[in-house]
Amino acid sequence: MNADGHHTAAVSPVEQRVAALEALLTERGLVPDGFIEEITRRYESEIGPMNGAKVVARAWADPKYKERLLADGTGAIAELGFGGPEGDHMVVVENTAAVHNVIVCTLCSCYPWPVLGLPPAWYKDPPYRARMVREPRVVLAEMGCPLPADAEIQVWDSSAEVRYLVLPQRPPGTEGMTEAQLAGLVTRDSMIGVARL
Amino acid sequence: MSTPLNLSGLDLPRRNGELAFDAPWQSTVFALAAAVVENALGGDREPFRHQLIAAIAADPGRPYWESWTAALEALVQTLPPPPTP
Repeated sequence: MNADGHHTAAVSPVEQRVAALEALLTERGLVPDGFIEEITRRYESEIGPMNGAKVVARAWADPKYKERLLADGTGAIAELGFGGPEGDHMVVVENTAAVHNVIVCTLCSCYPWPVLGLPPAWYKDPPYRARMVREPRVVLAEMGCPLPADAEIQVWDSSAEVRYLVLPQRPPGTEGMTEAQLAGLVTRDSMIGVARL
Repeated sequence: MSTPLNLSGLDLPRRNGELAFDAPWQSTVFALAAAVVENALGGDREPFRHQLIAAIAADPGRPYWESWTAALEALVQTLPPPPTP
């Protein structure tokens, strides 16, 4: 603290580099007024797993919608108003009693932003990216998602184009629930495939 | 093995996650990449993705948003120079 009572924490090198980028790109006319604030607001409060939860709940409640979702993920997700960056080629993979799906990006951090928001830190970290492909059963168990020995695990590596979303199995005992109530059951991790509901 | 349904333990999806950004510079550099993609590359995300893959591969242990920053710095180098007045 200085005499005014303010923190005088040193600006870190990376903060300085980001400030330099911001100054350069703004000078070149690439960053309109309010752009950074608007993007931040959108990804902090509007775009996130609550969107994917609505897609999953609709698929559970409406078999025709589920059919469309599995046939054309991008189109069916757009029906609910979700789309945009990292959502141009969405493929939805369905969990069943016999098959468990899980998504990963081995090279960087590709992730279906319109329905899940930005990825959690562990999704971007080297251990998850490397090990989920090599030993998915072990990693899933470590993450609290043990699978029966006879369950087949399919690991989907997000490529340049395709972004995957896992359609989890509808939990038993939810027959009387409304779509909104169902959406409340769907977790982010279940749509990545590292949890079951 | 399926977990028994426990309604009280389930939470809204937005709250079972984590904040998208840990510090303001992270949201700034995220938005700056979006600005370049949208306003200089016509919405094509591939050039940035290639830079991000390269930045992560160059230093796998580096914190993610620092790799993102390095990727954006590299991408900016590839942009055509601004028109001179």
